[in-house]
Amino acid sequence: MNSRRAPRYISHSQRWGASAGGEWRQRNLEQWRGQGKPQVREVEEVRPGQQGKENVPKGICQSMCPARELQERESQNRLHRFEILAGTARDRRPRGDALRAVKEYSRPAAGKDATNPTELRPPAVLLKTVCYLIDDIAASPRLHPWTEVYSFVFDRLRGVKQDMIIQRVSGSDCVAILERTVRFLIYASYRLCGEPLRLYDPRINDTHLQENLSWLLDCYASETGPHPNQEEFETLGLLYNLGSTRAIQHVIELPERLRSTPAITLALSINQAFLERNPVRLLRFAKKLNFLQSCALHRHLVTCRRDLLLIYSHGYSSRNCRFPLDRLSQLLALDASLTAQLCQVYGVEVNQDNHVVFSKAAFTEPEQGKLHCTLYHNIVAEKQKDLTIGNIIHGCA
Amino acid sequence: MAHITINQYLQQIYESIDNHDGSFCAELLSFKHPHVANPRLQLASPEEKCQQVLEPPYDEMVAAHLRCTYAVSNHDFVEAYKFQTIVVQSFLRAFQSHKEENWALPVMFAVTLDLRIFANNAEQQLQKKGKGQPSEMLEKAAEQLMSCFRVCASDNRAGIEDSKKWGMMFLSNQLFKIYFKINKLHLCKPLIRAIDSSNLKNDYSPAQKVTYKYYVGRKAMFDSDFKPAEEFLSFSFRHCHRSSQKNKRMILIYLLPVKMLLGHMPTHQLLRKYDLMQFADVTKAVSEGNLLLLNEALSKHETFFIRCGIFLILEKLKIITYRNLFKKVYMLLRTHQLPLDAFLVALKMMQVEDVDIDEVQCLLANLIYMGHIKGYISHQHQKLVVSKQNPFPPLSSVS
Repeated sequence: MNSRRAPRYISHSQRWGASAGGEWRQRNLEQWRGQGKPQVREVEEVRPGQQGKENVPKGICQSMCPARELQERESQNRLHRFEILAGTARDRRPRGDALRAVKEYSRPAAGKDATNPTELRPPAVLLKTVCYLIDDIAASPRLHPWTEVYSFVFDRLRGVKQDMIIQRVSGSDCVAILERTVRFLIYASYRLCGEPLRLYDPRINDTHLQENLSWLLDCYASETGPHPNQEEFETLGLLYNLGSTRAIQHVIELPERLRSTPAITLALSINQAFLERNPVRLLRFAKKLNFLQSCALHRHLVTCRRDLLLIYSHGYSSRNCRFPLDRLSQLLALDASLTAQLCQVYGVEVNQDNHVVFSKAAFTEPEQGKLHCTLYHNIVAEKQKDLTIGNIIHGCA
Repeated sequence: MAHITINQYLQQIYESIDNHDGSFCAELLSFKHPHVANPRLQLASPEEKCQQVLEPPYDEMVAAHLRCTYAVSNHDFVEAYKFQTIVVQSFLRAFQSHKEENWALPVMFAVTLDLRIFANNAEQQLQKKGKGQPSEMLEKAAEQLMSCFRVCASDNRAGIEDSKKWGMMFLSNQLFKIYFKINKLHLCKPLIRAIDSSNLKNDYSPAQKVTYKYYVGRKAMFDSDFKPAEEFLSFSFRHCHRSSQKNKRMILIYLLPVKMLLGHMPTHQLLRKYDLMQFADVTKAVSEGNLLLLNEALSKHETFFIRCGIFLILEKLKIITYRNLFKKVYMLLRTHQLPLDAFLVALKMMQVEDVDIDEVQCLLANLIYMGHIKGYISHQHQKLVVSKQNPFPPLSSVS
């Protein structure tokens, strides 16, 4: 499994702006130079990054899957069932469907030429590919199970990202692709929560999500806009990385006009509640989030509810005190039976009269695998209503 | 000295190398020294002259240094950075061949310091022209410094006296400066580990230790390890030279919030002395339990706090402010059974956004959990019952 750790291409994830300084040195030098020669030579017009620009590979492949790869995978019987030409699936050697095959992600390796233009797709084709993956695969009601849909889309999106990196794609196509990838991965992190590890690995999903997200935020920061969706993704980034110093530092350094938008303000309040360990406030604010924002926050809800039970176990720790179960379930945003179940997982006693008996000695952390996050998904699930996967990932929610 | 000829200059370099006079040699290669302003030395192609006097790789090093002074005199820092890189590289080759000797350490300090500074200046110049990737130059400079660091750290053969390991802390400090600037704090970790495990760690010069602890303290602060952060920064503040008021102020910017989190409030006098009045209202608000004032103070000086990277830590003071506010409620009511409504009234007075009794309970529960309040909440009676002894333990005894 370790070998599946994501490769480090570029340090996108670490590139949050830096401030200037060090002018004193220039001043000092000026003083020393005294009567020195005043003429200033023009700096050569060579840009370090630009010399290489001409050597950057430019793809010319106009289909989602390069012809050579399609042929190769066809002959090796390595087509995914979503890529097989209808009617040939039962053949000894199924045929590939040129309209449905998508270039695989393949690990960079020594001796492999990843820069062949006929195997690289230009930005417009990449965007088309992403749209295909969303509309015809991820959002398709006919394809089951969704874990397989996920693993296919995940891999092909990774291939798209690789093509982008090799060609150093930037600009609006890049933003559009990254935005959709991030939405897909956030949605998947919620939808597949609790699936067995071999079908869905939250760590790997997280690694990719973080990489795509920081690349995207980097694009917003370094490219002149307009970026109509920046607010959405700054919000998602903060909610997903709740409590992370880096994420918050990034958000508070955003320009005021962005920082004071309703979505980011709400995300900042939620984050503040998280840092102050105020789960009551956090869950209350969480109700105001939209579906995808709730998906992003979802992985912190377990911690948040645990915190609530933990601090209440200390705050209400007295032999004669009781706390009504229905009150607790309101605070936790769960129904009474799930609340009771959650209490049990953490060793918190609920008596026959539906009263909770908190005791700091009784609180215990659950064993691994005892807590099933999916049971407590209602707060997110009820927001999906009639949103389709297509709406969610294209961002028309 | 300032206007010596090129031949005199090269002769001096030659002698300093020959005599293993590291500090003199360092001066002759440092941009802190006035010779860099000497127009007779600012040569565009000094290679031949240098080769006549000096052995390789020193000839290359000095030639690059002179070309660097030329570039600086033309205010071209991109070019200067390029030559300084060559200076460092050729220095390193010479340095590696110095077996079981470390006389050249001062030279390394001088040339690496200038490298970092030129990288900084070059980056600014490029940015102004809208060229180059942000922090590209600094990253490259960091790589150079790292290769010096590796040479120093791997010098295991020499005895303590002659060890190149004495260069490690200086290089770490330079690298910290870069990593903090380009926001890659995680890269500090291996350096800290290397210094920590070295047997020299307590014997470096006070100046180096002050800088080192300053950065390690800030790193700890960033990781929310406040106790060690306080120790490092306090050390740094105590040992910082009294004439370096600016540095002391810089240390205080980080030390104050950590101290406040641990319950030690700075005096007005101190804040005035170091021109840090931005903290005055924060201090006042926290000790009075005045949430309203705290929020005002934070937003008033937001830009300053964010720029220093302490905004988030100051926000953590809210919990202590709640504690102080609730303690006031307790002192006013003079009873051990405090109605929860009283706390709600207090919070509403502080204009806490749509706060209700559920949140009051949550805040109290958290303070009890953290040990800031000794007692329990009774939901039936809607009361906070506090301990008869020491219901609000002193902050320094808690966190």
